[in-house]
Amino acid sequence: MTKRIFRSICFVAIAVFLASVALFLCVLYNYFGNVQRNQLKTQTELAAQGVENAGADYFEGLDTKGYRITWIDADGEVLFDSDAATAEMENHLEREEIKEAVEDGYGESARYSATLMERTLYSAMRLEDGTVVRLSIAQNTMLTLLLGMSQPILIIAAIAIALSFFLAYRLSRHITEPLNRLNLDDPLNNEGYDELSPLLRRIDAQQRQIRLQSEELQQKQEEFEAVTENMTEGIVVLNSKGIILSINPAAVRLFDTTKACIGQHMLSVNRCMEISDLLSAMEKGVRAEKSITLQGRTYQLDISPVSEDGSVTGAVLLVLDVTEKAQAEQMRQEFTANVSHELKTPLQIIAGSAELLSNGIVKEEDRKSFYNRIQAESQRMIRLVEDIIRLSHLDEGADDMKRENVDLFALANEIVKSLQTEAENVQITMHLEGTPAIIYGIPQLLQSLIFNLCDNAIKYNRAGGTVAVQVKAEKDRVILSVADTGIGISPEHQNRIFERFYRVDKSRSKELGGTGLGLSIVKHAARLHEAEIALNSAENEGTTITVTFPVPK
Amino acid sequence: MRTRFDEQLNTLHQELIRMGALCEEVISLAASALIQKDDALAAKIAPLDHEIDEKERQIESVCLRLLLQQQPVAGDLRQISAALKMITDLERIGDQAEDIAEILPFLNGRTLPEHIQIREMAKEASQMVTDSVDAYVKQDTAIAEAVIAADDIVDDYFIAIKNSLISLIAQNPNEGEYALDLLMAAKYFERIGDHATNIAEWVQFSVTGEKNTPQEVN
Repeated sequence: MTKRIFRSICFVAIAVFLASVALFLCVLYNYFGNVQRNQLKTQTELAAQGVENAGADYFEGLDTKGYRITWIDADGEVLFDSDAATAEMENHLEREEIKEAVEDGYGESARYSATLMERTLYSAMRLEDGTVVRLSIAQNTMLTLLLGMSQPILIIAAIAIALSFFLAYRLSRHITEPLNRLNLDDPLNNEGYDELSPLLRRIDAQQRQIRLQSEELQQKQEEFEAVTENMTEGIVVLNSKGIILSINPAAVRLFDTTKACIGQHMLSVNRCMEISDLLSAMEKGVRAEKSITLQGRTYQLDISPVSEDGSVTGAVLLVLDVTEKAQAEQMRQEFTANVSHELKTPLQIIAGSAELLSNGIVKEEDRKSFYNRIQAESQRMIRLVEDIIRLSHLDEGADDMKRENVDLFALANEIVKSLQTEAENVQITMHLEGTPAIIYGIPQLLQSLIFNLCDNAIKYNRAGGTVAVQVKAEKDRVILSVADTGIGISPEHQNRIFERFYRVDKSRSKELGGTGLGLSIVKHAARLHEAEIALNSAENEGTTITVTFPVPK
Repeated sequence: MRTRFDEQLNTLHQELIRMGALCEEVISLAASALIQKDDALAAKIAPLDHEIDEKERQIESVCLRLLLQQQPVAGDLRQISAALKMITDLERIGDQAEDIAEILPFLNGRTLPEHIQIREMAKEASQMVTDSVDAYVKQDTAIAEAVIAADDIVDDYFIAIKNSLISLIAQNPNEGEYALDLLMAAKYFERIGDHATNIAEWVQFSVTGEKNTPQEVN
């Protein structure tokens, strides 16, 4: 802009200068021309006077002072010429000034020489005798005038141009300075040209809008990050080529990588076949799902392509930890298989015995034992079904069971008493010690918890052994422990005995009428009361199971 | 022009990762089939090997096209030429895994001390392939060096198996066929180790521009 203003000013200044020089020259030329013509007229009159008085003698020794003087008779013959030989000169009667002078007494004319460099002014005067005296003088043309004045003109031009350059420079600087000084960060707070204020207001409005929008954008970004950062599920955003655009900390952890993987290809992070397949699905724009195992855990991968106008622009890869789900699924399958198996065995015995009885193969004296067998197996099945019902109830969370204050000691006392006969049958002594201990819980569950523990303690004991049940109330907890002097549990079985249908010694357990679900029920019941189970057992020495119930103050 | 070239190089890189992943898959299938004595796993190898062959052709043509059209220099040239060499090794790994799969039905179902050794060897070779592909993906020369070092372990396993098979045949000549099958499988695993080493060396070349003095591949 400064340059443009500078150029414009310079151009105008030079143009004005040249125009004024031209005008000045014209005026000057005219003025000089007039002066010269007047002088010529006066000189002609003087010369005419002289010739009138002196005749041809006038020309003797005449100093022409730069004038050319010609005397022509009435016929146009040149009688005298100060510059040339008279004889060679043509008839002058046809010359404009002569013609005029012959007719009016005085005539004037101006003619250019062949070279145009010179203009000659002519002035003629008729005398009394009809002859004509003509004076002529060379007049400078405009060009010669210009050439003659070129030096001063050039000097003036140089000064003028230099001056205009300088002024134009200063001026253009001065004009643009307020523009350069504009503070666009605060557009409304500027002094300068009023013409700029609509522009500045517009800039201000747009700046505010941009600020608002970027704040909004940032807030959304932060919201998105806050949501994804704290998710346990991994989220990876990919572009259409499979390059990672963003990855949340959970996904970083799952894929065992760093945030630096942003910008890399997904396959660089994990190149297993499943991910490769998912990426191929994404390229086709299809939603896909795979499950993979990473660091010993099972993850479900979901890829959802993002499409725009029919072409895939990217995808979101969701990583869900389904280890528990997969384990639960496996457990359910195992449980179903176990249950069917456990139910099938007594049923087969019942069916077989019944078949033998109905066919009449069984001798009269053996019938009693077959009936007993059928009864015993039916009892076992009933117990099994009851246990399964109880367990599934516990699985559902036992929400419908009422909690109330229960004295654990009284409950244990009842159970010990009820089991006394059974214990005595296998020569086992039971004793209970402790103090009343109130906890807030579900009586039915606590009952089956203590019952199962005591029942196991009797079943897996040896003749002459003891079962010691202890209930202890402490400041913020109640401890129930059941210790036996039985066969014990070897270490490799210890962490599995709470699993459903897990039995250390299958044949023995069945013989004793166990369902394989007792400790499972104990575990669930304890969990519902937020109690902790501790197992302390040594093979052939005995087992102590301690259940610690927290008592909130 | 350059951005397009970069894009093509990235595609090459990803395709090579995919091919590497396929090789990892076949070798780990071969190893698992051997360890778990599962012939069903071995049957999955052949189709994957065809896929590997297909990938090799595809990557090869990409490399040649890049060489012709882009006339790469320096690092780019190294990357492309290393890729050209690596796919040959990867393809051989696929072939050898398939060869192992063919032998497996004759081996599985037997339990001999040599079997345990070859399982260890299979694990090691499989790990080498995984690591060499890892080295390529991460362009990490340290991993590449570890792979090159691990080749000795696989070689030692091969020698140990060979020696124990010699004594097996000496004691029990009827076991000759079994011993030879086992030796073949061991040999294939050993070759796979060599190919993994080659890949690791090409990774080093691609990153540093220097190639170790070619190790004698026995």
